[in-house]
Amino acid sequence: MIDWSAFLVVALASLFSSAVVVGLYSLGLRLLTTSGRVPVVEPAEFTGAITVLTPKRAAKEAKRARKAAAGPLSPLQKQVALMGAYACFVLCSAAVLYGVYLIVPALHR
Amino acid sequence: MDFTLIVALVIALALIFDFTNGYHDTANAMATPIATGAMRPKVAVGLAAILNLVGAFLSTEVARTISGGIINKDDAGVQITPEIIFAGLIGAIVWNLITWLRGLPSSSSHALFGGLIGATIIGVGSQAVAHDVVLAKVILPALIAPLTVGIVAYLATRFAYFITRRDSGKADGRGGFRYAQIISSSLVALAHGTNDAQKTMGVITLTLIAGGMQDVGTGPQLWVITTCAIAIAIGTYTGGWRIIRTMGRGLTDIKPAQGFAAETSTAATILASSQLGFALSTTQVASGSVIGSGLGRRGSTVRWGMAGQIALGWVLTLPAAAIMGAFAAGLALIGPMGIVLDLVIGSLVIAVLFRRSRQSRVTHDNLHDIDDAGRVVKIRKTPRKASRTASRKDQKKVAL
Repeated sequence: MIDWSAFLVVALASLFSSAVVVGLYSLGLRLLTTSGRVPVVEPAEFTGAITVLTPKRAAKEAKRARKAAAGPLSPLQKQVALMGAYACFVLCSAAVLYGVYLIVPALHR
Repeated sequence: MDFTLIVALVIALALIFDFTNGYHDTANAMATPIATGAMRPKVAVGLAAILNLVGAFLSTEVARTISGGIINKDDAGVQITPEIIFAGLIGAIVWNLITWLRGLPSSSSHALFGGLIGATIIGVGSQAVAHDVVLAKVILPALIAPLTVGIVAYLATRFAYFITRRDSGKADGRGGFRYAQIISSSLVALAHGTNDAQKTMGVITLTLIAGGMQDVGTGPQLWVITTCAIAIAIGTYTGGWRIIRTMGRGLTDIKPAQGFAAETSTAATILASSQLGFALSTTQVASGSVIGSGLGRRGSTVRWGMAGQIALGWVLTLPAAAIMGAFAAGLALIGPMGIVLDLVIGSLVIAVLFRRSRQSRVTHDNLHDIDDAGRVVKIRKTPRKASRTASRKDQKKVAL
């Protein structure tokens, strides 16, 4: 008696939750970028796996970030995008916390 | 041999196995955030250890699968003795050591199941193994999970890139995924605690049940949960130092967006599986998602030869550990002398493991499985990345 539906449940649950968490965070980043605040997060530590950029390349990236900040959007539009970005991040964290809540039996028994 | 002595021996061996499990699997959660620079290696390793400890306390479904599922019971209790479990553990540890030293991809979970099943078949007989449970909760999840998690990671990666894609020349802010990686990799470490620490709890509980010290059908006791949680956390922390020592060498090229998508899919799959009592191999799931997310990047191709090698290693683990377990059980059946012989072989193996682990000689071969998985996907180098080949000393260290 193999419960095939259990495999389907696991696959769909992981697909759905990954899509929600990844989608919300990506959308948040996208809106943050749209609002002109491009997040520039440098690696905490450089490893062999990280592409190291030349100073020229880095200057170009910084210029791109400035350019994005001075985009064609009005201040109001940027404000809305920023609010949207924050909303996405909050929803994303809520989704993660809900997931943790679901797997801990002690919390809902 | 004294009954309580053999139970104590089994518990000690199980805890050693738990330690090696954590030791081997730190990379599953922390290879990707370290590779993308989301966290300093020391921070990542410390976090992984703490979350493994926490995760071990969260759920007991997997432990129940092992203690109550894979070995058949009758009215007199389970049909196996602590000696058989002892033999199974010896088999699992020996196979783990061999694969680790040879740099073969392997899964400590499957080694454990293989060892137990092999020992039970020789020591008691084939009818003592609950074949349907083994198939439904161990073998099939092992085959299906890496595949589904790979597909999920692939889709998640495509999704993340699709949403953040902007016209060429505009900043896309994908470096921001590094923050998200801190959370997602923590979830993987937590998930590892909920799934892997429980395998040892299950074995110890099974031993206590087999030894008549605990009722059939009950879950792990608190002291079992606590010791297992501590053993796996210490193993995770120690294993992390091995990764830190090798930093800067041999890590896979992983981008923050990709790493985040991979970690999220890994965590989601393991947590959902733990919930249903599937005893997954964390290593296999993490490897599957790294491959899937790599394929989600532009210009990626699969190195089928490497993928085949990894798959072969996975398929071999269960039967190979079963043979080791069967051999150990055969010795244990001789009587006290056989158990002593088993113990001598086991101690030798553990001593070798310990000695090797203290050497800083870590080559690519014994680095970790996640990295092998990363190498399965070949990413075409675009001109943007060409600067990587230039001499690093002259460059300002900036990566965006």
